[in-house]
Amino acid sequence: MAAFASLVTQTADLIPSGKAHLRDTTQDATRALEAFLASVERKAFRIAQIALRHEADALDVVQDAMMQLSSRYASRPPQEWKPLFYRILENRVRDVQRRRSVRSRVMSYMPWRGEDEEDAVDPVDLAVDHAPLPPAQLESDEAMAALEQAITELPTRQRQAFLLRNFEGMDVAETAAAMKCSAGSVKTHYFRALQALRSKLGEFRT
Amino acid sequence: MMGGDTEGGDSEFERRTRALLMQSAEALPGAVRSRLTRARHAALAARSVRAPSFTRRWMPLGAAVAAVLALLIVYVPHSRSPLENPVTGAGLEDIELLTDTDAVPLNGDQEVDYDFYEWAAAEAAGAGGPAVGS
Repeated sequence: MAAFASLVTQTADLIPSGKAHLRDTTQDATRALEAFLASVERKAFRIAQIALRHEADALDVVQDAMMQLSSRYASRPPQEWKPLFYRILENRVRDVQRRRSVRSRVMSYMPWRGEDEEDAVDPVDLAVDHAPLPPAQLESDEAMAALEQAITELPTRQRQAFLLRNFEGMDVAETAAAMKCSAGSVKTHYFRALQALRSKLGEFRT
Repeated sequence: MMGGDTEGGDSEFERRTRALLMQSAEALPGAVRSRLTRARHAALAARSVRAPSFTRRWMPLGAAVAAVLALLIVYVPHSRSPLENPVTGAGLEDIELLTDTDAVPLNGDQEVDYDFYEWAAAEAAGAGGPAVGS
């Protein structure tokens, strides 16, 4: 954080002193962008992780989305950042899914191939954690696992609509902008997603 | 905020699912949170070192215009000869006339042998007679 702060200060120092207002504007814009990215990064990671079921890939797509928003769209009005960011994120998720699909097709023609290092299971993940979980934590973890599984099984557009509306808290217009579809389509996808999730997770209905 | 599956507001199901998702986002492992923070700083640093957008936007256009101008200069044919005097319009033909030593002098009558031309004309008129030198 300190290194970043010094970088911002150095960058601002490059602006001539006669243009102090420009330096202030630049710093304000940078701070606003940082605050925005900090506010969305965890949710964005979870959305990507649910879609990709892979932590490292999810981190990569979130970083790509941050870089692209910062380098290309930071000059846009801040109220446009969220729909833009999630549209970029979803595009990156789709790119990864396509690459996986192509890769699996190619690899299916190579029966002699050994186990890929990336696909290899980390033994640490297989180790049993003997620490007892509190009952509430255990219940919550099980509920989250069931919810995540049910969201993963949704069609792509329903998954997007559900996560952006319900999890990220975007309104219909923002969600429509992020999904590049009409507000009516967002409502339809969201409604169907809720129906599908309810039918799978009946015990959530209290 | 959400509107829920009805216009009246969020249902209990929506609130429950949102709470679970929010809880999972808040409980991310430290390594993931650290990586996200580094990614954010990298994105902001990349923005800081980028060239001004004006330069970035117009530089390719300027290069394209320069290339087109260079092609025009090299390949478009000129309407005037390179030896043509841009002021008087004198061209290559005029220079040939001036340098032709066998042509009739253009700089006055004093060196013209009129007697020779009269004799040649008379000879031509009396072409029925014997040829000169025969």
